[in-house]
Amino acid sequence: MMGPAAIAVTGLGVVTSIGVGCEPFWDSLLAGRNGFTRVKSFDTVGYSVHMGAEIQDFCPEDYVLEIDPAAIGRTSQFAIAASRLALLDGGLDLSEIDRARVGVCIGTTSGEPHSIERFNDQYVQGSMNKIGSEFLHGYPCHVVPFHVAKEFGLGGEVMMIPTACAAGNYAIAHAGDLLCAGKTDFMLAGGADSFSRITYTGFARLGAIAPEVCQPFDLNRKGMIPGEGAAVLLLERRDQAQARGARIYCEVAGYGLSCDAHHMTAAHPEGEGAARAIRMAMQHSNIRPDEIDYISAHGTGTPTNDRLETIAVKRAFGKRAYDIPMSSVKSMLGHTMGAASAIEAAVCALAITHGYIPPTMHWQQKDSECDLDCVPNIARKHKVTVAMNNAYAFGGNNSSLVLAASTNSNRERA
Amino acid sequence: MNKLVVITGVGLISRLGDSSALLHRDLCAGSNRLDEITEYETHGFGSQPGGSISAFAPETYLSGRALRPLDRTGRLFASAAKLALESSGWSAGYLATNDVGVVLGTMFGSMHTISQFDRQALIDGPSCVSPMDFSNTVINSAAAQTAIWHKLRGINSTIASGATSGLMAIGYAADLIQSGRQSAVLAGGADEFCFESFCGMARAGLLRGSSSQRGCAVPFDERRTGMTLSEAGALLALEDWESAKARGANVLGEIRGHANAYNPAGNQNGRGPDAIIRAMQGALESARMSTGDIDCISAAANGSPVDDKNEAMAIHAVFNSHANSVPLTAIKSVLGETLGAAGALQAIDFVESMRTSLLPGIAGLGEVDEEAASLNLCRQPTLLNVRSALINSVGFDGHACSLIITAPPQG
Repeated sequence: MMGPAAIAVTGLGVVTSIGVGCEPFWDSLLAGRNGFTRVKSFDTVGYSVHMGAEIQDFCPEDYVLEIDPAAIGRTSQFAIAASRLALLDGGLDLSEIDRARVGVCIGTTSGEPHSIERFNDQYVQGSMNKIGSEFLHGYPCHVVPFHVAKEFGLGGEVMMIPTACAAGNYAIAHAGDLLCAGKTDFMLAGGADSFSRITYTGFARLGAIAPEVCQPFDLNRKGMIPGEGAAVLLLERRDQAQARGARIYCEVAGYGLSCDAHHMTAAHPEGEGAARAIRMAMQHSNIRPDEIDYISAHGTGTPTNDRLETIAVKRAFGKRAYDIPMSSVKSMLGHTMGAASAIEAAVCALAITHGYIPPTMHWQQKDSECDLDCVPNIARKHKVTVAMNNAYAFGGNNSSLVLAASTNSNRERA
Repeated sequence: MNKLVVITGVGLISRLGDSSALLHRDLCAGSNRLDEITEYETHGFGSQPGGSISAFAPETYLSGRALRPLDRTGRLFASAAKLALESSGWSAGYLATNDVGVVLGTMFGSMHTISQFDRQALIDGPSCVSPMDFSNTVINSAAAQTAIWHKLRGINSTIASGATSGLMAIGYAADLIQSGRQSAVLAGGADEFCFESFCGMARAGLLRGSSSQRGCAVPFDERRTGMTLSEAGALLALEDWESAKARGANVLGEIRGHANAYNPAGNQNGRGPDAIIRAMQGALESARMSTGDIDCISAAANGSPVDDKNEAMAIHAVFNSHANSVPLTAIKSVLGETLGAAGALQAIDFVESMRTSLLPGIAGLGEVDEEAASLNLCRQPTLLNVRSALINSVGFDGHACSLIITAPPQG
């Protein structure tokens, strides 16, 4: 078994409502564009809210080339598209490497929700005889990474980590561990979720969906806007990336994961678990609090999340918290569920690469309980050497991922 | 840096009882206690053996608080966790000062809760659904509810890779301990029996079928027609060896290595054994062991015509000259296919096999397929001083996972 190794991010693939592929996505983020429209994928009559952030005009045929795009679900299509973009971006020619040494680790909240929604439509209509083998082969959430592996002929570690709205961070963290241990040579790691009637219904019932826009950290914030999308990062050991001459966006320096063990949907009132994950992430990365240049917030825009997240960051960083810019891209692409933290990891990688921080849009009025620097409304030129990506999930699951510019130094994981 | 990973407790809720002794007794007796699934006849499904654990009473294990927030998968996993905590001696005092992690392997997770939630919204309208049910629609709800119930504040993760999920979860947890990220983790899996999983499996043609139609779910038997679908929750208390020794824990075994592999060509097309071969080889490599060091194999075989054959071929390919001598057992003819819980149940029964020096036979085994004919299949319980086992999990869509457990380390 190998010792700890630096893990390089050498390719990025993003599929979002404000852009597919890194360049259009980054342009939209810096320009503050959002993907909010009236929900089109199902009828919201009978709901008190109607806005969503769906991806318009997505053509799976452009990305799903080897397996039948019509035979797989939308989440799998997103995951394959993001993977293909990451492979292209990373300049990795799969025909030249041992594909049994390439793995796939994806996070999700709902997997392939349309599959169970169709099942329920048939159930309610009394036409269960129409259910065939496609239900079993289309629904269980592990089919998403399996479809990615099938599309690209990959035979390494393939798994789903369905840890809800923090899943992308869990998947990237685990992929880094597998590479560190020498179990694989390349990992496609990230998150994917598609717009779901079930998720929308649940958050609407909780009163967590905003009527118009998502405005994290604002005094009058009214909730999240559910979204969809995927991001996949191509990860490999730094020495290998250097040897093949790959561009290195940044390194996955370390991570912290913890559980509040407090409540299924409410975060710990004092941010105990979240602060613990932040501290663990810094310890694991050998990074001091004063080295963090940017925090990509979970920032869903619900009254409670943003308040408790602020408490947790202050608890972990003390006064230093006020000096760290902390923005939420959910103000533009909504809450993409299991994909969110993977997309936000890509945001961190791009912030490190380009020296800009995307804004928190729709911010109007200061909330004394959310008084950190949320980079309101305008992207900021800012050198980012180390970024922290925070994500939280139902069940009190907390995750913090540290991404750092590749310095070629010996900053190894603890 | 690399720590040894040991098993210091087990917990299970299964059709054969809630302790490793009861499980092992019935497996060795070959007593078949499978109920008959008849409740879906109105949906056009014929009856066949399998189904839920009718005797499961979660309040026996989870007392003092309302059970309502937990769905059935959550109750199975949290109950098994309670037993594992007791078995390992991770008392309330221990939990107050140690962060214990939870890693759940599950194939379907909260599918039944999700489905009911959605149907209620369809029938009664979106404002009539229960927020509490919504919180359980996330696939990681069983792991999270277990952590909340038992106050487990360590890394809380859920792994999904189909029928291999539970064994994958144990491997994932072992890596967290080996690398020093966490010193104590509950790891295993759970899947409830529900209409949605039954319907999915039935329509995909994976179930054995009714007895009157000669349905047979005996592993490696030439008459086999498919699996018996059941349910369970099962997990291991895993701990780093130094910590276990320091607190004087009863060490039951060691996780020596594991690996998994995927075959993008699926489990058919003549390349079926490929992923299983690579998983077994990878596990041996990571354990730094050779096939000659393996005392027995616990097969994933569940009566599937395709996958049992692939597994037999893979064992031949990996074990070569040892293939016809290493004792091989398979426990699913009695237990049924429990998906996410299956790998942990195999691991638990092997720990009990070490303790009792008795390996269960493959209950009901008749004529054997030609691919498996020259394997050393245990037909009867066999008195054997087993000190190491290779445990297999095989998915029906091209994935395989293998894990090696040995007797506790010396010293």
